[in-house]
Amino acid sequence: MLNIVVMIKQVPDSSEVEIDPVKMTLNRTKARNVVNAADLNALEYALRIKDKVGANITVISMGPPMADAAIIECMARGADRGILITDRAFAGADTYPTGLTLAATIAKLGNVDIVFGGDETTDSSTGHVGPGVAEFLGIDQITYAKEVDYEDGYVIATRDLEDGDEIVKVHTPVLVTVLLNSNVPRHQSLRKKIDAIRKGVESWGINELGLKPEWVGLRGSPTIVRSMKAIKEPEHLHKTITLDKIDEVVADLVSKNIIKVGGK
Amino acid sequence: MSEFDVIVIGAGPAGSSAAIKLAQGGMNVLLVERGDPPGTKNVSGAVLWGDELSKVVPDWERSAPIERYVTRKEVAFLTEKSKIAISYSSQDLMERKSGKIIVRGKFDQWLARKAKDAGAMLVTGITIDKLVIDGGKVIGVMQDGDVITSDAVIVAEGANPRVLINSGLRPKLSDHDVALGIKETIKLPENVINERFNVDSKGGYASEFVLGFLDDGILSGGFLYTNRDTVSLGIVASLDRLRANGMTHSYDIMGKFEEHPFIKNLIKDGIPDEYAAHLVPEGGLASMPKLYGNGYLVTGDAAMFTFSNGMVLQGINYAITSGILAAETILENKGKISEETLSNYVNKLRNSYVLSDLYTFNGIQNVTWSDFTQKTMPKILDSVMMSMFDERGMPKKHLMQVLSAAVKSNGMKYTELISSGYRMMRKM
Amino acid sequence: MKIEEKLSLLNYKTDRSYAHITIDPDICATCPDHFCVFACPANCYTLINGKLNFKYEDCVECGTCDIACSHGSVKWTLPKGDNGVIYKYG
Ligand SMILES: Cc1cc2nc3c(=O)[nH]c(=O)nc-3n(C[C@H](O)[C@H](O)[C@H](O)COP(=O)(O)OP(=O)(O)OC[C@H]3O[C@@H](n4cnc5c(N)ncnc54)[C@H](O)[C@@H]3O)c2cc1C
Ligand SMILES: Cc1cc2nc3c(=O)[nH]c(=O)nc-3n(C[C@H](O)[C@H](O)[C@H](O)COP(=O)(O)OP(=O)(O)OC[C@H]3O[C@@H](n4cnc5c(N)ncnc54)[C@H](O)[C@@H]3O)c2cc1C
Ligand code: SF4
Ligand code: SF4
Repeated sequence: MLNIVVMIKQVPDSSEVEIDPVKMTLNRTKARNVVNAADLNALEYALRIKDKVGANITVISMGPPMADAAIIECMARGADRGILITDRAFAGADTYPTGLTLAATIAKLGNVDIVFGGDETTDSSTGHVGPGVAEFLGIDQITYAKEVDYEDGYVIATRDLEDGDEIVKVHTPVLVTVLLNSNVPRHQSLRKKIDAIRKGVESWGINELGLKPEWVGLRGSPTIVRSMKAIKEPEHLHKTITLDKIDEVVADLVSKNIIKVGGK
Repeated sequence: MSEFDVIVIGAGPAGSSAAIKLAQGGMNVLLVERGDPPGTKNVSGAVLWGDELSKVVPDWERSAPIERYVTRKEVAFLTEKSKIAISYSSQDLMERKSGKIIVRGKFDQWLARKAKDAGAMLVTGITIDKLVIDGGKVIGVMQDGDVITSDAVIVAEGANPRVLINSGLRPKLSDHDVALGIKETIKLPENVINERFNVDSKGGYASEFVLGFLDDGILSGGFLYTNRDTVSLGIVASLDRLRANGMTHSYDIMGKFEEHPFIKNLIKDGIPDEYAAHLVPEGGLASMPKLYGNGYLVTGDAAMFTFSNGMVLQGINYAITSGILAAETILENKGKISEETLSNYVNKLRNSYVLSDLYTFNGIQNVTWSDFTQKTMPKILDSVMMSMFDERGMPKKHLMQVLSAAVKSNGMKYTELISSGYRMMRKM
Repeated sequence: MKIEEKLSLLNYKTDRSYAHITIDPDICATCPDHFCVFACPANCYTLINGKLNFKYEDCVECGTCDIACSHGSVKWTLPKGDNGVIYKYG
């Protein structure tokens, strides 16, 4: 049976994060914590492979103790096992030690055929972590996947690139990062959620992973944040155009050379 | 063997209170809530009256997210240009702290957490489809085709009782069973609230309004409660009047209320932060489903346990009490759950204020939802006040003369006023 | 403030795989009252050129339309799981 790992991150619901009007920083405290949306799309592809050929799906997440709720939610959707990587030593990690820590977790699990992740998160959205994990593990990677299938030892994926789609077929082991909204995640099931709560989420710390404190967390982070600036959104000129005026508008845009109509 | 002793559907005040009591009694409880976290689906004023919660969470006020304590209570009639109010501020009200103003988004999450701490299994983000009934006995719940079994189920799903309807245990709701509540939460700085509503930082203002200025047969009450740094403003509108009118949008009633000069002033410079709508049980005894059956009990709004007389709207306290009583009934009959043993729930309700209030005030909705209370009375009061205070250098008249003139000018007979007033006093 | 602006204050988790409320357009086509349009507090039911238009995305799950429609057009269920409206205050 295939062994699949899905990496998920608990993030504040982006639609609820408010900008502090004075400090101009993000106020995340009021927002609900949710599973990063693209990670649910990644999980859904893992579950489809499980439905098709059978697989053991382990969900892993690095985060604070309360992130176990995010893992339980993934198990309620069909994942078999959940591991929370949590330790004071991991705090303040940038994407480099985050990738390293996740890679160490996957290495410790052993015999992993496919690693799934979101392409990026809604709270930091660097997109570094997936590729970083693949490099640390020394396995192939497929990024920006919008369709994912599995057949006889190969992952077949459609990558959404700027100039078109690219279909790739890569032998396992492979890491796949999945695009947001590339599928509709299945619902949670009460049966599975009860079982997940009973089973519980395993908790691994720095000792379980055999990592050194200077490799992880803030100490292991090469990024130095010098300052942060809030960028003011430019004012938009909103204009409502009724349908019967559309011809005028088009004519106007054509006359200003903003758009072209018909032919080349 | 069932998987759980009890499954509780809904982690509102009724469900969480029940789950706490059951878990404290050593039962293996599953509490299922569709909102994640609990509270994200619920709408209420909200003033929590009384201290029922201390029965399951002693000292609950210490950890509960309470915004303010009601220290100023008003009941006001709004006509087009006037506000006639009875305002009550009292040292006693302050000391007894009987009205706690809460925000359900925070409160329900806190209370559900208490159920979890007490040992109940809390599962959020899951919607129960219906009860599973086998040979006339409720044996569990169904979700997406899966059956989870239990010896008993407590239905605490609130005013839109889909589980009961889907299980064939109550008919669909009608215009007479419920009213439509619409609410807005408006941000105002804490110090502005203190000044504007004349309360200190712990004290709060709670007012109910009779919206006498609405025309074309629309009947609606209104409310305004002060939270710490937001104000809850809302209406509760009668559905059968809205239907009879047939051309007014429910949300426009809310719009008219917030645009009323007196209300507009109170929320001046406020920033609207949320809009919400929810049903409110209004039908009293006539709307109630069967409260118990073989293997299940119905609590809170799902049982239509609310009380409103135009001066207060209460449901949270009824929900908490009915939840606790349902839990008690099950605890007392552990291992012998049947329709007969569970029938004791109704006795418990009768002995508490829950059902006794509903019997005492049976039919009050015909008074609160009447043209007399909502339209004629405010207009008469308005005319009386106006002629009393409108100094035009005319000789003063006796109050009775003023009153009878006001009654006449509002197209009513004096005897009608007396009989309507008497009916009202009797019901209230 | 217009109802559209009020609704824009709300946060939803929209289920793209399941519309929890559906209507029967054939019944609505002959409806004498369109009471759903007036009853729904979230403006989910609108008349466009005399034709009923329903969108479940703005629904706050109050249940009013199921009562309002007396012609059997509305098929009402709760959203699945934790989908739908997410109140901050409620
Ligand atoms: C310049 C900069 C400075 C930062 N400084 C700090 C700091 O000082 N302190 C601090 O705490 N954070 C800091 N962060 C945030 C931190 O780097 C990221 O939260 C974390 O490393 C993950 O990166 P990301 O969210 O961009 O993930 P992405 O690379 O966008 O995520 C891609 C995918 O990787 C997986 N993934 C990402 N994170 C995790 C995780 N934790 N567990 C499991 N899977 C995961 C998910 O599948 C996700 O969809 C900083 C970020 C930046 C850009
Ligand atoms: C606008 C308004 C103002 C009000 N003001 C006040 C006030 O000031 N004071 C007062 O005392 N009362 C007030 N009420 C009434 C009060 O809100 C209710 O009486 C009270 O909330 C009832 O509690 P409950 O636990 O029975 O139901 P609810 O609070 O409605 O809780 C039911 C719970 O069940 C969950 N649920 C429903 N169906 C399912 C399902 N199928 N599966 C899983 N979970 C489900 C819901 O998400 C919810 O959390 C007001 C009501 C409204 C609408
Ligand atoms: S939903 Fe019902 S009330 Fe609305 S238009 Fe259709 S038939 Fe009429
Ligand atoms: S449930 Fe309420 S908000 Fe949703 S469509 Fe019906 S009336 Fe509108």
